Amino acid sequence: MTAAQVLKPPAAPSGAAGPGPSGLRLVWLHLRSRRVPAGIGALAVCGALLHLALHWHWAFNSGPYAQQVPMIIEAGAATVIAVTAHSPFGETERSAGRWLPRLRLLTVAGMCGLAIPLLQLGAVGESLNAGVLVLARNVIGITGIGLLCSLVTGALLAWTLPMGYMLFCQYALLQAWTAPWVWPVRPPADCGAWIWACAVFAAGLLLFAVRGPRARLSDDS
Amino acid sequence: MSVTSMPPHRLAPSRLATSRFTLPESVRALRLEFKRNAVPYVLPLLAAVFYFNTLRTADGFPPVWTLRASAITDHMLFEFSAFAGGLAAWAGSRDGRRKTADMVATTPRAAWARLSITLAGTLSWLLLAFLAGVAVLYIQTALQATWGGPPLWPVFVGAAGVTVVTVIGFACGVFFPGRFTAPLVAIVALVLYQTGLRQALSVTASGTYALLSPANSPPVVDAGVYYHAAPDLSIVQVMFMGGIALALFGALGLATTLRELTPERGLASLRAALARTDGWLLRAVAVILVACGVAASWTAFALAGTAKPDAVGGWQIPALHSAASDQPVPAAPACTSSSGFQVCVHPAFSFYLSDVAEVLDPVAAEIAGLPGAPVSAKEVASMIGGQDVPSGISGNPPVFEFTAERVGIYFGQFLGIPDPVGWREGFQQGLLDPFLAGPSQQAGSVSLGPAQQAVEDALLTAAGTNVPATIGKMLQNGQPIAGPPAVRSAAQRFGALSASARHAWLAGHLAALRAGTITLAQIP
Repeated sequence: MTAAQVLKPPAAPSGAAGPGPSGLRLVWLHLRSRRVPAGIGALAVCGALLHLALHWHWAFNSGPYAQQVPMIIEAGAATVIAVTAHSPFGETERSAGRWLPRLRLLTVAGMCGLAIPLLQLGAVGESLNAGVLVLARNVIGITGIGLLCSLVTGALLAWTLPMGYMLFCQYALLQAWTAPWVWPVRPPADCGAWIWACAVFAAGLLLFAVRGPRARLSDDS
Repeated sequence: MSVTSMPPHRLAPSRLATSRFTLPESVRALRLEFKRNAVPYVLPLLAAVFYFNTLRTADGFPPVWTLRASAITDHMLFEFSAFAGGLAAWAGSRDGRRKTADMVATTPRAAWARLSITLAGTLSWLLLAFLAGVAVLYIQTALQATWGGPPLWPVFVGAAGVTVVTVIGFACGVFFPGRFTAPLVAIVALVLYQTGLRQALSVTASGTYALLSPANSPPVVDAGVYYHAAPDLSIVQVMFMGGIALALFGALGLATTLRELTPERGLASLRAALARTDGWLLRAVAVILVACGVAASWTAFALAGTAKPDAVGGWQIPALHSAASDQPVPAAPACTSSSGFQVCVHPAFSFYLSDVAEVLDPVAAEIAGLPGAPVSAKEVASMIGGQDVPSGISGNPPVFEFTAERVGIYFGQFLGIPDPVGWREGFQQGLLDPFLAGPSQQAGSVSLGPAQQAVEDALLTAAGTNVPATIGKMLQNGQPIAGPPAVRSAAQRFGALSASARHAWLAGHLAALRAGTITLAQIP
């Protein structure tokens, strides 16, 4: 072996990233590590499920029952986003750079921004009870709950608390609760419900971006 | 990796191994699975949802066993479906998620045994939680119910539902390990449940899927009280869900073989899998389990297709139906006659006997002794011969018969109207309507004329009921309104008479009043 061989830079791992600015490459690697492409596929599945449910009348057309199935699927999209937050690198990644909080924030915000039109796409041509406003509010609010849950349980089990909240909202829906913190049962233009949903989302997003999901608990179980 | 992944002779000696009572290997593995399972971490959340969605909903029902037990399949199974499916998928995807599938595949223990331990641990936790919830629900009911005992078939159906969702979730986790499997399984389980509920509640749907769905609307209030609740449909549901669970459990035994079937190699991979000689016994058992499960589910599906409505509001399946279910349940009625007017209800409803008597007594006193006036009131079954039974006056001596589901124009009196004032009005109007329209009339179909309405209003006022808010047949935007001024005026005149004067006038004019020949002006 000669010195020239040693000094020769190692070849880039094949398929790790395409040519382009390092910032874009970093973002792409971050998204891949979070299984974002698969997550987008899962969101598309949720949109397709919503379309099937509305098209084949799996849900009622009006009344309190009409909101049940859409709410379940919206919560499903939110849990997919929350689960996407899981990092396979755990603690190690936190010492790697200062871009991590921004990447986390970008990922979750982007996934939310993608989930809403994907679900709305599933409802195109069908009658979605309460419309896209409630859909968007549910997605962002329940995503916030999922992100908060990921701080405690780890991202892989972050679907549990949103699921519990959604189940509680099913009860609240049939019992005609009106509290704004039960935003899925409130009308589309209800200010209190929007404030609660946005506040929970903002809190979850901020804490998640700064601290990141818990790295160990869900992996140990 | 679990204990069963390691060959027995390589296991490190443990405290248990040196003790005199060494536990079998599988039991030790199961114990480890109990300890490491994710279900206990979610139990507080599940308990909170159970409290709101099941316990509080059931608490709003009258304390009748069959009605309260319906919350098991209508509410409890809903929340358990989400967590059972998701957590089972989480447990099933463990090896795939941790990328240890290849490592544990080299161990001498069969993959099926390893998966079975994990599945058993998850399922045991979920069934324990489910049964604990049922116990809480039944203890609460036992403290309030006045007759009957806990029905077991809803528990069997619920347990079968939890089992099948758990096995489905676990199989999804094994075959599609990934971070999205658990939430997606939970969501799909809930959507399936809601779709079944939609089918069951829909008036147009009578498909087999609706019958196989454990979700349904609450039964009539007195279901299982006067007649046994036939278990036919429950048997079919348990058989259907159990069959699916059995087939999927068998498919887990073929998981390794199924993974080797790659589409790229086509039939070659299938031939290679069939040519393998190792583990043929396990594969044969797995195939038999799959076949048995499919057969059971198919049989249940076929049986559900033969279901037809029975005489008491349920479903009967001829191949499973027992004639004993059609026999009335013997029970001595609970009666009271503190003021001379006897009121009898089924002992299951004795919790409101005094309230009913208190409501009916003053109205009965106003019309006592008049022709066709009931001498007693009796609660009867709400459905006979497949038909709803309306309240009315019949028999000789006349008896006012009402049901726990229907009194007068009110339907679901004790289920849907929490307002005690509305409850009181329902009974009093239910008694007076057929009396004033003629004993042969049934209250549900009575339409009183102006004079009859005025007399009824006066009698209700005399009985202490606030009439302007009670004229149930005169509704505006769904709210009761006072009658026309002439009716109100006549009612006030008649109500201003003394009780004896009213009674005397009714004795002389009752026949004409029933015939509709009395005008408002003729009312004193």
